[in-house]
Amino acid sequence: MSQHNLLTVSGLSKFFPVKKHSLFGDKQYLRAVDNVDLYIKPGETLGIVGESGCGKSTLAKTIARLYASSAGEVHFHGANLTKLSQKALRSIRPKIQYVFQDPYESLNPRHTVGSILQEPFIIHTQLSLQEREAKVKALLDTVGLPEHAINKYPHEFSGGQRQRIGIARAIALEPDLLICDEPVSALDVSVQSQIINLLNELQKKMNLAILFIAHDLAVVKHISDRISVMYLGSIVESADSDELFKRPRHPYTQLLLEAIPNPDPNAKRSERRITGELPSPINPPQGCRFSTRCPMVEPRCHSTRPPLIVTDGQDHQVACHYHQQSFENWESPWDY
Amino acid sequence: MMFSPQAKRRWQRFKSLKRGYYSFYAICILIFVSLFAEIWVNNRPVIIHYNDTLYFPSYGDIIPGDTFGLGYQWETNYRDLKQVFDNNPDSGNWMLEALVPYNPFENHFIEGEFPPYAPSIEHRHYLGTDMAGRDILSRLVYGFRIAILFSLFLLTISYVIGITIGALMGFLGGGFDLIFQRIIEILSNVPILYIIMIVASIITPNFWTLALMLGAFSWMGLTWYMRTETYRENTREYVLAARSIGASNWRIMFKHILPNSVSILVTFFPFSVVSGITALTSLDYLGFGLPAPTPSWGELLQQGTSNLDYQWIAASAVIALTIVLTLVTFIGEAIREAFDPKKYSYFS
Repeated sequence: MSQHNLLTVSGLSKFFPVKKHSLFGDKQYLRAVDNVDLYIKPGETLGIVGESGCGKSTLAKTIARLYASSAGEVHFHGANLTKLSQKALRSIRPKIQYVFQDPYESLNPRHTVGSILQEPFIIHTQLSLQEREAKVKALLDTVGLPEHAINKYPHEFSGGQRQRIGIARAIALEPDLLICDEPVSALDVSVQSQIINLLNELQKKMNLAILFIAHDLAVVKHISDRISVMYLGSIVESADSDELFKRPRHPYTQLLLEAIPNPDPNAKRSERRITGELPSPINPPQGCRFSTRCPMVEPRCHSTRPPLIVTDGQDHQVACHYHQQSFENWESPWDY
Repeated sequence: MMFSPQAKRRWQRFKSLKRGYYSFYAICILIFVSLFAEIWVNNRPVIIHYNDTLYFPSYGDIIPGDTFGLGYQWETNYRDLKQVFDNNPDSGNWMLEALVPYNPFENHFIEGEFPPYAPSIEHRHYLGTDMAGRDILSRLVYGFRIAILFSLFLLTISYVIGITIGALMGFLGGGFDLIFQRIIEILSNVPILYIIMIVASIITPNFWTLALMLGAFSWMGLTWYMRTETYRENTREYVLAARSIGASNWRIMFKHILPNSVSILVTFFPFSVVSGITALTSLDYLGFGLPAPTPSWGELLQQGTSNLDYQWIAASAVIALTIVLTLVTFIGEAIREAFDPKKYSYFS
């Protein structure tokens, strides 16, 4: 299977050490990403959703090795990214690019757009200044920015325009995989759709694979071929986009879907809510991670942690002991 | 390199703070004047016209008395020469003297009086002379030049060491950080004055050794700020973005982190200048600074305080020191104000 995958992540974990409370206390870790498996095929979009603090961004940064991983492997283009030397890593970087969440933070305030976009070429190619500038102009055109943007500074642009600059930088070296870490959550709704359409367009044109991270299911559905739902550092359900929306099996996914606001005033609303807070990833609940907030929790959920298992054969994986019951009880609030 | 709009805004803001801006001008003028002190303050005249030839003795080798028909091989006594010229107004020879016609090393004796001489326009000792008959204004000007150059050199040393180590501490973190934190703590507690006294009793320090010695013990302050700044910038997303396009550590350091840390370095600049001047002056005052005939404010202050009857000596040194330190502090204040992140954020 992994032969056809562009990216295969297996057992990836990222633990952050936490300050000990006493000198002789046990060393504690914040389990931001806990044993995650996923794969992306060339040209495909995988959406990852989950609420704030569930480790989506950490997962993305660990895959791109902006953070060192604690365990697990990331196979990309036949290389294990987690084990590569700094030098080898730098040469593979152009193929796996990153679009950041906050377009205000991810552009160096002291560099002009021209020099921000030239940087990839300076690092990875031997192009002359003129050639680089021509490339930058072509890039600006691709992402729909005017040519004279080249001499301006990031702060002279709106959020959406800055995110376009960020995308232009990411596609400069024609990557195979684009990791989009909540690229639209800092933007206005009207601008969000423009950016997402731009990403869709680029994907078709360049045969990009995209790892798209968001906390907004509606946004993810629009762009993704497959969706993985993350909860507290682990993936709880993973399926094709339509399949996940039509036949969600994990109670958490169901609750997320029910929570999407429905513009139809006559639509019946579910009585179920996700209550409580996300538990601390330093001391995650025993057994199922979602057991503390699950509406259909059983004693078994508190003791045994459900593994991620394949259910319907169509690549639909879920980590719930009672996914069968959960699915049978579920009524979609949506008419598809 | 083009200046970023942020830098331009800061400059505009600095210009609008009049007190600091004018102080900046004043200091620039003072430095400029002192750098070319040989022209304004010198016993050698600026121009001599002698037998249809022009001489510019301010810079360069000594011109022997023979040249002007004075009949000796050693350096011309230009005051005597002036007498000669004045006595023969028809010869067509003339000279343009410096504004203050005394050199800082020259002991000038007026017949029938003992130094120190009080300030007088007639003798052109505008601020009087010190105990050895050397012109105070002249020594102030040359002393200022040495002090400011000394403190700039000292500042360069401590900035280079401080920035390098601070940036590495922030960038590498871990063991390197921990070890240097302890080293800095130890170094900060070394009584530098005693060390310099001990060293000065073994070798006579000169400009360079003194600056190197002080520099080796004065880089620690900046290191903390640089370390914090690097730590902070290093985790910001634009650095991650640079890393994700495969930028080397070297490139991230010099193209991304350092330019964004400049504001701290600039803010500290004037205060470091002040501390450099103060350090040299106090060492000179105690007699452990630069060797004896060097014009120095500290030495002048020392003469002044031990001979309080001749108030002009102490007064000149104290007033000059106060003016310069106040000006530099005003500049520092204005820079700090102009770089205040609350006024100009990255997002404004």
